[in-house]
Amino acid sequence: MNLRESAAIALAALRANKLRSFLTLLGTIIGVTAVIFVVSLVQGLNRYVSDKLLQAGSNVFYVDKFGFITSQEEWEARRNWPEVTLDDADALHDGVRHARMVVAQASDYETLRYRDKTLKAVEVRGRGPGYEIVDDLTVGEGRHLGEQDDQRRQMVCVVGSEVAEELFGGLDPIGRTMRVGPETYEVVGVTSPKGKLLGQTQDRFVTLPIRTFQKYKQERGGFQIAVKSVDQSSLELAVQEARVVLRGVRRLGPGKPDNFGITTADTWMDFYQHLTGGIFVVTIGVALISLLVGGIVIMNIMLVSVTERTREIGVRKALGARKRDILLQFLVEATTLSMVGGLLGVLFGVLLAVLVGAVSPLPTAVSTPAVVAGILMSSVIGVVFGTYPAVRAAALDPIDALRYE
Amino acid sequence: MIALRNLHRVYQVGTELVHALNGVDLDIAQGEYVAIMGPSGSGKSTMMNIVGCLDTPTEGSYQLKGQEIAKMSDDELARIRNHEIGFVFQTFNLLPRADALHNVELPLVYAGMKHEERRARAREALTLVGLGDRMKHRPNELSGGQRQRVAIARALVNKPSIILADEPTGNLDSATGEEIMAAFADIWKQGNTVILVTHEADIAAHARRVVRMRDGKIESDAPSPGPPAPVRMSGTPA
Repeated sequence: MNLRESAAIALAALRANKLRSFLTLLGTIIGVTAVIFVVSLVQGLNRYVSDKLLQAGSNVFYVDKFGFITSQEEWEARRNWPEVTLDDADALHDGVRHARMVVAQASDYETLRYRDKTLKAVEVRGRGPGYEIVDDLTVGEGRHLGEQDDQRRQMVCVVGSEVAEELFGGLDPIGRTMRVGPETYEVVGVTSPKGKLLGQTQDRFVTLPIRTFQKYKQERGGFQIAVKSVDQSSLELAVQEARVVLRGVRRLGPGKPDNFGITTADTWMDFYQHLTGGIFVVTIGVALISLLVGGIVIMNIMLVSVTERTREIGVRKALGARKRDILLQFLVEATTLSMVGGLLGVLFGVLLAVLVGAVSPLPTAVSTPAVVAGILMSSVIGVVFGTYPAVRAAALDPIDALRYE
Repeated sequence: MIALRNLHRVYQVGTELVHALNGVDLDIAQGEYVAIMGPSGSGKSTMMNIVGCLDTPTEGSYQLKGQEIAKMSDDELARIRNHEIGFVFQTFNLLPRADALHNVELPLVYAGMKHEERRARAREALTLVGLGDRMKHRPNELSGGQRQRVAIARALVNKPSIILADEPTGNLDSATGEEIMAAFADIWKQGNTVILVTHEADIAAHARRVVRMRDGKIESDAPSPGPPAPVRMSGTPA
């Protein structure tokens, strides 16, 4: 008995009744579509995160008061810890031998004004020297902030390209003065556009020297310190050195726990993977339930088909079909059916992923393994749920089957 | 070629045992044209099922070309049906979604024959029954007589030892029935063994030997006078 004939019978039956076929395959289609779409989304996010988030900061770690917290309890426990100060930053600068750069940073939101124009709730960053490397910024016009600006607490700033455009219009911002909250600052540089990250602009900010920021925006404490190690291999060493330095500064005796937080890119990556892993597991679970339901529907329709075609089975047996021929015929039919569902699911999933990638900020990446897995899963569904009807068909007694009305 | 010895077939219907065959002995030689007659419940259908290898006897022996059929497994029976038996049914039993050619091909598919060869054989068989111009027609596009001729072509295509026809004219008008009987006469004349199961005496009269059954036993076994006049089937409109 050839497989092609069975597949052709299944396809002909599908074509003969399109609506019923579609409803039969709906579960399988939804399941496979969900798998393809979610895998594409998670893969797209993964690629995006590793490309963009970690590119500049791959060997950077952050020291701050809270570190990485994920619960109210952690926050309660840490809120009485001392603030991280600029002195801590200086101590790290002097004491961490494997640091290439130590940049103190803080941020706030303020209203910007230039002549009659106003921009509300713009991110105001305070940054120590070397910030351009940690923030991955290049200057488009003018210059970056330097050591001297910081030490002298100069009233100067660098603005993001979006701020420059919206506040100054067509004018050249360099040398012009603007209000950041109550004070007036001179613009010395405009950064090149960085584009959007997950739909959020990265070019809407004002950067002030950290000591200027401390003086006018934040009287004491509450800083974060970014430390960039010499290279990736010395990151772990630099983290250890930073701990030693800070424990020294804070006079923590042996056995006492740290009272500061250190966050590395790995911490973020772990959390991110934990998060997407959760989404992944939940969706795959939903998809599996959908596939299960799809399989049961296919089993049901195959049982109906076996009953409807009892005579045909009898005739085939009378003409010399063995049990295994009938079994194979119905298995191939069920598998063909479910694979058509799988292919449609792949098609819809890919279309959905491409569509979402095109019209929303969410990045998607269609992956070949996911497509293969989708088709494979649907054929497994066909075999698993087609077996019982096929066994029933194969076990029919030829005489009873021939006599069936 | 066919040797039935002390054949018994017992069915259980509810709590009752029904002796459908109660000790049948029968020999049919190669090239015979035999009609099996009897009222319903006489056991003729049961005997036909056993001779056609669709069923096995509860007791006794059935030898077909020297092979003992009674103890064969389902797969062996399927192989014997495929190679040795050509069935023609009262209700034609063609696959409704397949064209005439494909219906005739079916036994060859189960015989494992290559596509090209079985196409050629099926065309040959359809031409032989006068349907060379109807190969691509589906059963519902054919008349009753044409459908039965497709079924005859299907029965012949694997060159079986026995053509087993169960009330082959039961669903046809008498003119078409005569035409089909003429077709069987032709087949028989070409050297095939034909066994005809019927309850109509004038149909049975086409055979050369008539076996009458009653209550699971053979009541009589006698030569038949044969059909009144041979009718050529090819060229006659259906």
